[in-house]
Amino acid sequence: MAETAIMYDSSKCTACKGCQVACKQWNQLPSPLSSELFEYTESFQAPRDLGSNTWLIINFSEEDKEIGIDWNFMRNSCFHCTDAACEMACPVGAISHKDNGAVVIDQDKCIGCRYCVASCPFDVPRWDEAKNKTFKCWQCFDRTSAGRAPACVSTCPTDALQFGDRAEMLGLARERVSELKAAGFDKAEIYGEDELGGLHTIVVAHRGLEAHGLIRDPKIGLTDFWQFLKPLGAIGAGATVLGLGFSYFMARDYDRGEYSYDEATDTVSVKEVE
Amino acid sequence: MRYIQRHSAFARGLHWIHTIACLSLFATGLILFIPSVAAAVGTATVQGARMVHRVMAVIFIVAPIVSMIISPKGFVHLWNSLFFKWDADDKEFMKKFFPYLLFGAKQHMPPQKINKSGQGAVDGVLIFASVFISLTGVVLWWPEFFGGPTSGLFQWSLVLHSGLMILIGVIMLAHIYLGAGIFQPYKGSGKLMFGNGRVTESDALYHWGHWAKDELKKGDNVIVE
Repeated sequence: MAETAIMYDSSKCTACKGCQVACKQWNQLPSPLSSELFEYTESFQAPRDLGSNTWLIINFSEEDKEIGIDWNFMRNSCFHCTDAACEMACPVGAISHKDNGAVVIDQDKCIGCRYCVASCPFDVPRWDEAKNKTFKCWQCFDRTSAGRAPACVSTCPTDALQFGDRAEMLGLARERVSELKAAGFDKAEIYGEDELGGLHTIVVAHRGLEAHGLIRDPKIGLTDFWQFLKPLGAIGAGATVLGLGFSYFMARDYDRGEYSYDEATDTVSVKEVE
Repeated sequence: MRYIQRHSAFARGLHWIHTIACLSLFATGLILFIPSVAAAVGTATVQGARMVHRVMAVIFIVAPIVSMIISPKGFVHLWNSLFFKWDADDKEFMKKFFPYLLFGAKQHMPPQKINKSGQGAVDGVLIFASVFISLTGVVLWWPEFFGGPTSGLFQWSLVLHSGLMILIGVIMLAHIYLGAGIFQPYKGSGKLMFGNGRVTESDALYHWGHWAKDELKKGDNVIVE
């Protein structure tokens, strides 16, 4: 299977939330019915955050300007990193890459340890307390492996979301950035080309990465260091066992003799063992 | 034959409990530390291991705290064994210990008090590591009380918990090698904590010369059989 990617063009996104709905429908993710979970925040963004039953939202970065509210939309979901920190951190191998680059969680293997939640630089995986498992976007691998686009892409009415061969998506993104720059969007940038080994969600951020809430040069961070401890532990244990084995070999025939103490003369004598 | 009663039944009981807890924690922790092991044993076993890890963690933390309350004298003894002033014999012991351990134990080792200087130093490191592995374990168990799993505290706890496991593991390997008497000159040491707590006059004089002489002179803890 060829390496594929979703391309999100923020300049074409109208934040209609059709992608959010399609994601929920296709993946059968229920919405919470309690109004308490939808506290009024003066924002048009809904819901406020990702969750174990919400794998995709459009973030509304709202700037109050003289001409009114200026929105910088951003698709908030898994980026399907090539160097995926969640996959590195998973202690049971429940997270893996598919051939097309999608990073998926095998729910049968997930133990709910939340190490992936801790390691993701984008704060994407979400833990479900009742199920004691972690969930996130799997780029609709059931659809893509059958030659279809992910549900979010298939429903986008403005072509802000596209799906296909990753190299092709990068080509489209480059073209779009050139167009946007020519149209006066000087800060337009591509996100995902090289970040964390290359992402499988490419973003055209027409007002620049920061305006859309994207992390410039994201890092795996402590997960990398944690992985380094594993070979270090093996080396430490191996060296200790070797050292003690050598010690055992050198001392195997040694006999220290019988010690005794005479309190009257305050002397310790040693009788050699024959 | 003369023996000295070195460890009380209470101390040995606590050592038994802590040994079982520590080895269980190590075994169940390794399952999570090495993904290939977790994959080999399967999800149900991994979940079972996590539960055992937590139960044993409670025992690992609670047992010494309860023992401190029941036997404050024992705690004072432990404290003194960690922070006593080293004399010339103690310093010489440390200088000679590694050549002694590695090259056939032919060195003559200086006499020691109730605790060897090296033993006190390692015990200090072990207690420090145990306290921190317990604290980081609490953060990993209940991250919601410490800013959630995305907090820096959780991430550092994960790294420190694993790093301290390696440190404690390496110390435990050496501790078992010496304490169980696998090292030839330490033969018979296993009985001290896992048996009746008695040490023969000969062994006591060899390992803790100053202490053995004091005990044999006083006679309170000396058993003749």
